[in-house]
Order: sequence, then structure tokens, then C-alpha cells
Amino acid sequence: MRLRWNVIIGSLTIIPGLLFGGVATGYLLGGLADKHLFVGAHHLVNVVLLLLVFVMVIATALTLAERKWSAMMQNRIGPNRARLPFLENSALSGVPHVITDVLKLLTKEAFIPKDASKLLFNLAPMLAFAPVFALFAIVPAGPTVNVFGFDIEMVAANPDFGLLYLFGIASLAVYGTSLAGWSSNNKFALLGGVRASSQMISYEVALGLGLVGMMIAFSTVQLGGPAGMSDLQSHYLPGWSTYLGPIDVGVPQWGFLLQPAGFILFFAAAFAETKRAPFDVPEGESEIIGYFVEYSGMQFGLFMIAEFVEVVVLSGVLIAIFFGGPYLPFGNLWLKSLFGPDWQWLYGSILGTVFWLKVVLLCYLQLAIRWTFPRFRYDQIQTLGWKILLPIGLANVFISGALILWDPSLKALAIAGGIEILVLVALTLTPTPAKSRADAHIGHHGPVDEHGHGADHALPAGHH
Amino acid sequence: MVVDVVGFLPHATIHLPGPFRYLWLQPICCANSPPRMSPEQILFWVFAVATVFSALGVVVLKNPIASAMSLVATFFFLAGIYVLLWAHTVAALQVLVYAGAIMVLFLFVIMLLSINDVGPAVQLSFSRLLGAVATAALLAALVLAFRKLPTSDLAWANDPARLASFGSIKEVGAIMYTQWLFPFEAVSLLLLVAIVGAVVVAKSRI
Repeated sequence: MRLRWNVIIGSLTIIPGLLFGGVATGYLLGGLADKHLFVGAHHLVNVVLLLLVFVMVIATALTLAERKWSAMMQNRIGPNRARLPFLENSALSGVPHVITDVLKLLTKEAFIPKDASKLLFNLAPMLAFAPVFALFAIVPAGPTVNVFGFDIEMVAANPDFGLLYLFGIASLAVYGTSLAGWSSNNKFALLGGVRASSQMISYEVALGLGLVGMMIAFSTVQLGGPAGMSDLQSHYLPGWSTYLGPIDVGVPQWGFLLQPAGFILFFAAAFAETKRAPFDVPEGESEIIGYFVEYSGMQFGLFMIAEFVEVVVLSGVLIAIFFGGPYLPFGNLWLKSLFGPDWQWLYGSILGTVFWLKVVLLCYLQLAIRWTFPRFRYDQIQTLGWKILLPIGLANVFISGALILWDPSLKALAIAGGIEILVLVALTLTPTPAKSRADAHIGHHGPVDEHGHGADHALPAGHH
Repeated sequence: MVVDVVGFLPHATIHLPGPFRYLWLQPICCANSPPRMSPEQILFWVFAVATVFSALGVVVLKNPIASAMSLVATFFFLAGIYVLLWAHTVAALQVLVYAGAIMVLFLFVIMLLSINDVGPAVQLSFSRLLGAVATAALLAALVLAFRKLPTSDLAWANDPARLASFGSIKEVGAIMYTQWLFPFEAVSLLLLVAIVGAVVVAKSRI
């Protein structure tokens, strides 16, 4: 494949540049709001900037990224037909398709089927979208820094029951899907709604258990603020840090290092909550279309964008809890000391950019998973949720609790976490035994023939 | 007292729950200005009226799904009133447990059974009579409880340290796991019994 250097260098400079500009605007506007309106007004700026600008723009960009990425996985080119006026010679990597998609959804008729329950039918898309969107309110997207003499927190709200808010609001998303299925007066939609709600109910247990280990380790459920999970992860494990010249290095208290099992549990469960492949039984394109089969126009658009918003929000939550929030794995103190007291917003903006870059990377990982794995069967989903994730979660809670009780400095937990990561890497690198590979081959393609694997995967000519 | 409720509501004055005198107009600023409603009084009436109406909807609405959704709305407005009572942790738990878990299961069961064609369920006059008696008893108990409420502020109402921690998740958790540990565990045992009972009943039907 020919490397298009202009595109690569362009994205590597434009994306961080835009993110940096956005975060810096946030800090400066927040400082101005606190100075001229009232102390705490920067939270209102954050509501607009973080939720309406950052989350929505990244989610909208993901609709295009999903189409492009699926095309890449299937050896196609993907959307490239829409053009901007005066730029008819360039497809601009498909970016104009974002505009055409939105125009199409907005101008389509919003059709309500006969005998559908009108109020609930109209309510369902909003109930599917609103909770997912509101989740991001408690995710801190940058450090607290002093701008114009006021402490600016990069978070919309910072309640002391942070993770309870997360679980409470996340569980409300079920109403949207189940009501959509029920109110459509369509048996396929009802099936999709029932599938969605049973799947989401099953995985909420593992979702909660995955985070209990982190709650015990940091003895808080708060995400933002100086005692919140995000800021605690900027510290090193006590005694395990040193200085390389001016730069501080060490083993950070990142949730991923302390609680790899908790991370995997939470990620798998949250992935099931987003209802994307391999957990896309509620949509089941090939058999029942899904709980939104009767929706058209922007009402369908709300369901679709809710899914992408959920991808962004899930990335943000994962980073705030498991991947150090906005902080770098090392050198945070050094970076902070580089800027004088009047330039702390620059330090905040750099770390805020780091946060959003991490979000974009995790969104990319989720797209890659969605286009790599085949769909789980319904019984496999329930088995995974109740018989694998739930026992692992319970065991993780007890083992982590015992380790923290034994060594409150979290070092024992970090060592156990390192061992877990090594075991996972070893399991991943272990080649599948030849026998089970042959079984899988027979299972999917019939008896092994002399052509081997490659032959039946050859693409039809002219397919792009 | 000026209190930051959830983090960004500015200058919301909050009075601790006494009898009704806190619910209506009162001097909130200066000696000469006429009594006004404070922001949290306005919020209280918004939540209270909405709670009553959505609770009525649970009873009045014909469609069971609409009834269930009305109950969800009731829980949300109740959570709002909990926040006004400085019990924001309880409000979060209310949304998490009732709106997020229990009502989702209600909805799931209603959808699976699709009982939307069933007419008026209760025809027995005896059970209606019993319900009326129970409602009257509850009302009497509430009125008696209200008459017993202290008319003065609580002793620690102006203690900033106590107010800062009141209703926070740390304080609620500490009380729940020390002072009220036995009732807490007894309730969880009750729930376990209910789950085991449900499994036993379902197993015999399969």
C-alpha cells in the first residue's frame, strides 16, 4: 500500500493542534468566566465545551471513521463520492460525507408506524441519547490549573458520589432501547428491544464489579478533584520513583497497572453496553434489524449518534479510571515546573491534549475490535456475562481487597497487576495448538483441503 | 448559609427540613425587603408538584408501560427533593437502584408478558376497602410525624464542618457500616432469601 505522507503528516499535526486549541480555549474562557461572572462559572463553560463540542465533534467524526475503517478491513476504499464546491477534484478522505449524512438524516421524513404508541415512540430516541451524553459530565478532561487567579477544573461537575452517578445514569440507557422496541408495534423491534435490555441488564453487574477494585485501591468514588481517581493516578507508587536529570520517572499508580483484571472486566462489560459487535445481537442486522427498525430520519440518527457518543464517553471514562486521566506516565512534575505561575494554562492545555489523544486512540481500538470480531451467539453472551466475567470480578474484588489490606502502599497490588499482565501477554503469544486450529477450520469451512486457509479468502476480482 | 449543591449551582441557600414554615415566602435578604422565595424553595415546589403529578400518572394511566415510565419520573423528582434535603448520596442511590435497576426489570417483565390488553385488574371491593384503610393510616402517620418535627433549627445547623460533610458518601457509608450494620446486613439477607425463593419457584415450573 502506498503511504500517503501528506495525509499522515497532516493528521499528525492537525488533530493534536485542533485538540490543543480547543482545550486552551476552554481554560482561558473558564478563567474569564470565573473572573467576570462568578466563581465556579467555568463549569458552565465546560458543559458547553467538553460535552457539546469535544464529545459531539469526536462522535460525529467517528461516523466517518467507522465507515473508512470498515472499508479498510474489507479491502474497499470506502466513502469518497461526496465533494465540496470548488474542491471537486479531491475526495478530502471522505470528510464531506459527514455533511451529506447529516443532511440526509435531517431531511428525511420522521415516520411513525400505525398503532405505535406515539408519545413513547418519540420519547425513546431521546431516552437512548440523553443518559449516554450526560455521562461525560463527571469525566475530568484535564488537570486543575490556576488561570487569572482562579482554579479552573476541566470537568463539568464533580460530585463526591462520582461513580454512583456513572452507574446510575448508564443504567438509564436501557429505557431508550426497550421503549423503542416496545412502542414500535413491530415484532422484530420488540425482539431487538428485549435482547438489548437483557444484555444490558446482565452486563451491568460485571460493569460495577470491574471498578470495585479501583474504588478500594484509591478509597474514593470521585473522579475529578485533588482526591479523585484521575489526579491520584499522577502520583508514583511510594518509593518507586527517581529523577533522570530534571525529569521525574517512576511507576505511576495507573489503574491499568494496579487492576488489569478490573480493566478487562470493565472494558468487556462496557463494550457490551454499547451494543456494538461482537455484542451486536440487539441489532442483529441479518435477522431482525434491531429495536430501531421502525425509526427513520433524525430519530434513527439519534440512536446511531448515541452509539458513537457512547464510544467516546467509554474511552473518556476508561482513561480517567485506568489510564492516568490527562497525565503522562512520567515527567508531570517536570512539565509543570517548565511553566511559570502565569502560564499554568499552557501546562493544563498540553495535558488536556494528552487526554483527548488517549481518547482518540481508545476510540480507534474500539473500532478495530468492532470490525475484527464476529458476533457472539446469544447464549455465548449470557455465558460470558454470568459465568466468566462475574466470577472473575468477584475473585478480583476479594484478592485486590486482601492485597490492599496487607500493603496499603499499593505496591503488592502493582506486583500482582504486573503478574496478571505478564500472564495475559503469555496467553496471547501462545500459539493455538494445531488440533484445535484444525477443529476450527472444519467447523467453519468443512474438511481441510490441500489449498489451506488462503484460497477461500481470496477476494472477488474488481471488489474494492 | 450559602452552599454549593452539586458543584456549580451558585448561591443556593438551603435550609434544613423543618415543618412547613420553610416552604413558603420568607425574608431571605434584608430587613426591609419583602419576603421572597429562595432558589431552593422554588426548586422544591417544582419537584414536589412534578412528583405528585407523575405519581398520579402511575395510578391513572391505562397503559402499563406508560404507568411504569411515570413511576420512573416520580423516582427522579423524588431524587431532586433528596438533593434539596442535603441527601445527595441518597439521591444518587435512588436513581441508581430504583430508576436504573428495579424499574428496568419492571419494564422488562411488562414487555415480556405484554399485559397491555388486560382490563381493570382489581374488582374485589374488600381489597379496595383495605387499600383505603391503609392509605388513611399512612396519611395519619405522616401528619403525626410532621407535628412531631422540631420547630427550631437543628443544633448543628450553623456548624460549617458538620454541614460540609453532611450527606456526603463518606459520612453515609460510615454510619451505614457502623451504627446501622445489623439492619443493613439483615436487609441484604432478606433480598438473598427473595432471590433464592424466586429461583426455587421458577425451577419447579420449568
